[in-house]
Amino acid sequence: MNETVVVLTIAGAIVAGTPLALAALGEILTERSGVMNLGIEGMMLVGGVFGVVGALASRDPWIGLVVGALAGIALAAVHAALAVGLRVSQIVSGLALVIVGTGLSSFVGKIPEPPLTDRQAVESFHRLFPPTLVDLPAAGPIVFGHDPIVYVTVALVGAASYYLFRTRAGLAVRAVGEDPATADANGIRVALVRLLHTCAGGALAGLGGAYLTIELTGIWQDGITAGYGWIAFAMVSFSGWRPWRALVAAYVFGALVNLSFTLQIIGVNVPSQLLAVLPFLLTIVVLIVISARQASARKLAAPAALAVPYARESR
Amino acid sequence: MRARRLAVEPRGRPSLVSRIVFPLASVIGAGVLGAILLIATGHDPVDAYLEVLRSGFGSDLTIVRTLISATPLILTGVAAAVAFRMKIWNIGAEGQLYLGAIAASGVALAVGESLPTMPAVALSLAAGATAGAVWASLAALPRAYLHTDEVISTLMLNFVALHLMNYLIFGSVSFWRDTERLSFPSGRFIPETAELPEIWLRLHAGIVIAVIVALFVWWVLRFSTWGFGVRVIGDSPATARYAGFGVSRRIVSILAVSGAIAGLAGAVQIAGTSHALQPGGLAVNLGYTGIVIAAVSRLNPLAIVPVSILIAGLTNAGTALQAQGVPNDLLVLLQGLALLLVAAAEFFLANRVRIVTRPLPTLETAEAA
Repeated sequence: MNETVVVLTIAGAIVAGTPLALAALGEILTERSGVMNLGIEGMMLVGGVFGVVGALASRDPWIGLVVGALAGIALAAVHAALAVGLRVSQIVSGLALVIVGTGLSSFVGKIPEPPLTDRQAVESFHRLFPPTLVDLPAAGPIVFGHDPIVYVTVALVGAASYYLFRTRAGLAVRAVGEDPATADANGIRVALVRLLHTCAGGALAGLGGAYLTIELTGIWQDGITAGYGWIAFAMVSFSGWRPWRALVAAYVFGALVNLSFTLQIIGVNVPSQLLAVLPFLLTIVVLIVISARQASARKLAAPAALAVPYARESR
Repeated sequence: MRARRLAVEPRGRPSLVSRIVFPLASVIGAGVLGAILLIATGHDPVDAYLEVLRSGFGSDLTIVRTLISATPLILTGVAAAVAFRMKIWNIGAEGQLYLGAIAASGVALAVGESLPTMPAVALSLAAGATAGAVWASLAALPRAYLHTDEVISTLMLNFVALHLMNYLIFGSVSFWRDTERLSFPSGRFIPETAELPEIWLRLHAGIVIAVIVALFVWWVLRFSTWGFGVRVIGDSPATARYAGFGVSRRIVSILAVSGAIAGLAGAVQIAGTSHALQPGGLAVNLGYTGIVIAAVSRLNPLAIVPVSILIAGLTNAGTALQAQGVPNDLLVLLQGLALLLVAAAEFFLANRVRIVTRPLPTLETAEAA
């Protein structure tokens, strides 16, 4: 394996991992507040289709991203209304969200004339750094060669980590996720915190979907996320509900997503299904190892009140 | 001075009428939402809905098609319900169904020809159920003994199973693959002796199996000691532990039973409907839809049967609607909306929401208190 392949693999992993990182970061915020949203795949799909709609209408990929994020918020708000407001089973509501998102995104893609699936690729983002930096050996493609969203994602991960673990508001979020009754008694508005963080999760999932369609593929196809939402969901527990770990996991999974191309380049023939299965197998193994070691099980455990609806009157 | 606020009060046990009226109202609500969407996109909602009724339930032939589609949904619905009743969240019916299909078609291909019909079918269905149970155990054992979250592990196993099935047909020249057809990879057809017999027109006996399983699970949960244990653990794990129930062992057994029923769904699809391992026909979210059906049916196996038939009819109608220029996706969207609304109705079934108006405390009343 020569050097360029390694460099391109790493650079490709970062780009492929970015939509995963965005969606997983959103789910971390949601789950830290005690709400489990299984609907990431659905939110990414509507984010993806509305991202393309926005980018086509405005001829500006940034507008596309914003529209995609708003679509993600809209779907997440439905989940919040049901799961937080009406205390519906979060698993059921989340799965229904996937169905709604799948149907809605395919439907929306067919409304314009000609349908989105028959359009040419939308305009993507410009590189952030000048060619002199991008042309540097090794560091160029890996560190400087990306579009702005890659760096925005890293910044968002840093901000979310600081917010969750270093601010008073973040402490309140974690309190709501661990013990909503105590948080409530301390004057924290449990329902509001959960609503806001479920919507934040939707925004980031929508952003991830829009980034996927605007930058990575440039076009819309039905079901284009192809399981990205589920991988993002897995990464949340994989990372022990910690943003920085999730970012690293996203890049690792991004590398796995790209691995089949890499292996083809260097002439190794491995069945694509074997590679596709790796992120999921890895998640299961890591989860079992974490839960088997008691110390790490306590440190990296899920928020105690995850997926448990909170009703003040039944305290 | 008066203040208005919303008061939410638990209803206690809802009446039979409200248990029927609320879900119905939410389905109608979804229909109204769908009509708005149809009008907005330039279709006639009345025409479209009549077409749905006609092509889902309009003739013997469409009823047969609907019942065939409902069969796996009843089984995956019961599979989810039985685990959910113990608050064990088996999201893995999807993968357990694939494994059931792989095992059932494997056994049918291997020994189907050398056996008469009844034993061949029975053996292949048993293999499917066993494979589903074994696949579920991969999540059940870590859950029972290491507290590994089963939501994620069962979900992840779905994708492992999906790619395994795709590998057998698309990624390799396996025992399951029809090697004579090289143009498009396809599963090898099982011998006729391993096919489920047809009972009415093209309706195969799978629907009978599904209904019997639903009835049996309902009876077991309601009247057997094992079912009593399941309900106690589901309602109060602390009580169960105090009473000396083997909670870990019950987690393994409930997931195995749930997986076996989902595996049976896959086996029935092979023996009754597709007669070969066809990933495209199997990977249509039967497992996930089963979970939502179970929830809509409030985990009652008896209610799962009609709900599955309704959902199956809607799904089949989608294809017919496409001929009228209404995209199939609209029906998927409507299904999702109906499920969300039915889930929401659950809250209003369990709680009474009223606007209460009461005087704000004045200086005098505050002093008196």
